[in-house]
Amino acid sequence: MRAVVLALVLLLGVIGHGTAAPAVTLEFWTISLQPFFTDYVNGLIAAYQQANPTVRVRWVDVQFQAVEQRLLAALAGRVAPDVVNLNTEIAVRLAQRDALVDMDAAVPAEARARYFEGLWRSARVGGRTYGVPWYVTPSVTAYNAVLYERAGLDPAAPPRTEDEMIRHARQIKDRTGTYGFMPNVDGVRMLHRFQEHGLPVLSPDGKRAVFNSPAHVRYLAQYVELFKADYFPEDTLRRGYLGATERYSAGRLGMLVTGPQFLLRVKQDNPEVYAQTRVAAYPRGRGRVLHLATMVVSVPRASRHRQAAVDFALYVTNDANQLAFSRRVVVFPSTRRAAADPFFRAAGSGPEDVARRIAAADLPVARDLSVVVPHAGDLFRIFREAVESAFYGKRSPQDALDWAVRGWNERL
Amino acid sequence: MGAEARPARPAVRAAARVGRRGLTRRERRAAAVAYAFLTPALVLLGVFTFYPVLFGTALALFDYDVISPPRFVGLAHFRAMAEDRYFWIALGNSVKFLLVVPVLQGLSIALAVTVNKPVRGIRWFRAAYYLPVVTSMVAVGLMWRWLLEQDGVVNWLLLSIGALARPVAWLGDPDLALYAVMFVTLWKGLGFYMVIYLVGLQAISPEVEEAAVVDGATRWQVFRRVTLPLLRPSILLASTISAMAALKVFEEVYVMTGGGPMFRTYTMFYYIFDRGFQQLDMGYAAALAVVLAGAILALSAVNFRIFREGGWTYH
Repeated sequence: MRAVVLALVLLLGVIGHGTAAPAVTLEFWTISLQPFFTDYVNGLIAAYQQANPTVRVRWVDVQFQAVEQRLLAALAGRVAPDVVNLNTEIAVRLAQRDALVDMDAAVPAEARARYFEGLWRSARVGGRTYGVPWYVTPSVTAYNAVLYERAGLDPAAPPRTEDEMIRHARQIKDRTGTYGFMPNVDGVRMLHRFQEHGLPVLSPDGKRAVFNSPAHVRYLAQYVELFKADYFPEDTLRRGYLGATERYSAGRLGMLVTGPQFLLRVKQDNPEVYAQTRVAAYPRGRGRVLHLATMVVSVPRASRHRQAAVDFALYVTNDANQLAFSRRVVVFPSTRRAAADPFFRAAGSGPEDVARRIAAADLPVARDLSVVVPHAGDLFRIFREAVESAFYGKRSPQDALDWAVRGWNERL
Repeated sequence: MGAEARPARPAVRAAARVGRRGLTRRERRAAAVAYAFLTPALVLLGVFTFYPVLFGTALALFDYDVISPPRFVGLAHFRAMAEDRYFWIALGNSVKFLLVVPVLQGLSIALAVTVNKPVRGIRWFRAAYYLPVVTSMVAVGLMWRWLLEQDGVVNWLLLSIGALARPVAWLGDPDLALYAVMFVTLWKGLGFYMVIYLVGLQAISPEVEEAAVVDGATRWQVFRRVTLPLLRPSILLASTISAMAALKVFEEVYVMTGGGPMFRTYTMFYYIFDRGFQQLDMGYAAALAVVLAGAILALSAVNFRIFREGGWTYH
């Protein structure tokens, strides 16, 4: 027995001497990439470790709902990860509290130039960027061809503008009794809609709220009227896109504006509806700009290996790795060269292929339209109350927006 | 020395008898063993309850966002609350939520009296009423959200029996949503309080009620004059627990309405969660929690006062 233990100890000693011990261990957090992309991320890490033998990467995948809480707990407990995948909203919130590394300072200019400029500016606070853009998921319109036909609409002619979309939604409801759409107008998402419609939220200096002009009021009033006339279901305001995805998957919604990755969910939940699904571009408002949710990779200031962490963040988001990722799922790369790959123009008639081509075409006008303001939580709460009170007829659209603007200006 | 010590002895003995309530060495040893058994639980309570309570209370005096070190601000958070619209909205909703307490207690007592009969299969009924209690609130919330949807089962039932003319948005109507959430709290809590009252009812000696019947009391009079007063300790316990739970309601709201519509279901606990964990405003959230704890303490004191008489003398 003693001999066996001795032999083991000796063996371990030899192995220990044979490989250089990694000097740096990086902890890398991703959002909801397991189990579908486990192989991809493991491959990514293995290749990096091979090229950088002194670095070891420990991968932790966190569910989207949990990522902010877990990150906060880790920051408070001084065990922060070194590299972390965040959405713009969370990245901005943390950057406002000075918790993230300034990427404009940490990343050399030639590396920055590889990314689309609009996307590089996604997680921006005070004119500085706090996250390297990773993948983006431009919204598309999925629509139910069978419902379209039943409503007397041509499935080959999906709506191209917001006004057309509203017209189609009315016709679907009137002719089939099924709701045509669940517009993304709940709470702060109305702020994205304003901007897509060419209506500013803040004054150019960012010091004043300006979303109570007659044009803003008309825009809100139009949706209030649709709501009162029952052209979209009441849970639109309560459940947002999750409710919309569920309703669409059940075959009880004509059109669904969504990130293309949610098509997979429809496919899983109801293959029959998926088979009836066609995909079209996200209808343009008058602003010639589209809201685009961006995933970024950030480095907490609490990281003990900031330089190595930034280097790994750039590696994860480089052309080759982003292209490889985009081949697996309908996401779009944030770097110019990867986005120019012929793959994104490839033919194919499945909803995902169409979504990919559409996303590629929309990228030049897409930008993250999240409104970055101090005391965001307080301001968004006021805005939500105002919009809801207009929808529920407790205030006129004009009064509601005036009230919210006053509330914002007192705090800005 | 000896002469001085002698008179002291009876005094010491008397003091021991009065001060330690006449504990013998054996009793003292038993007490030591009891404390030894209590220690692990006390340590756990200390670490996971008392320390967080103290820390949280102290935090109310600081600005703290988890990331930067806390900054002392004194009573600024409490002063800010006076001007904070959503604090008043949340407090108002939580106070309204207390309406659930008397209804819940009344129904639970009625239910307990009903299932306190030696009827065949009564155990099955008791278990059935208790089932919602042991079901997770998230599952219950999701189920009821689905049932209460505008095109859900509840509306379908009410429409088909002609109780409604058109479907109602139970969770989407600003004037109804809070009551819909309260209903779910009531539905889930009924079995729990029923068990408390059932125990209370079974502790009442049948002779007392029989004596009242012999004296010519009607069934209602027996219930009103004999059973109910003897249930006071149970009512005190159940209504205190229920009021605390009502002020702390969170999961139902989180799952069913998200605080909407128009913040009509936005309760204190939801606001604390929002400020603390969504907005990283831990100091302010702690101050809100202190206010809520104060409200719960005050309410419990009132509750004790109301039910004290019957409650304590019965014990």
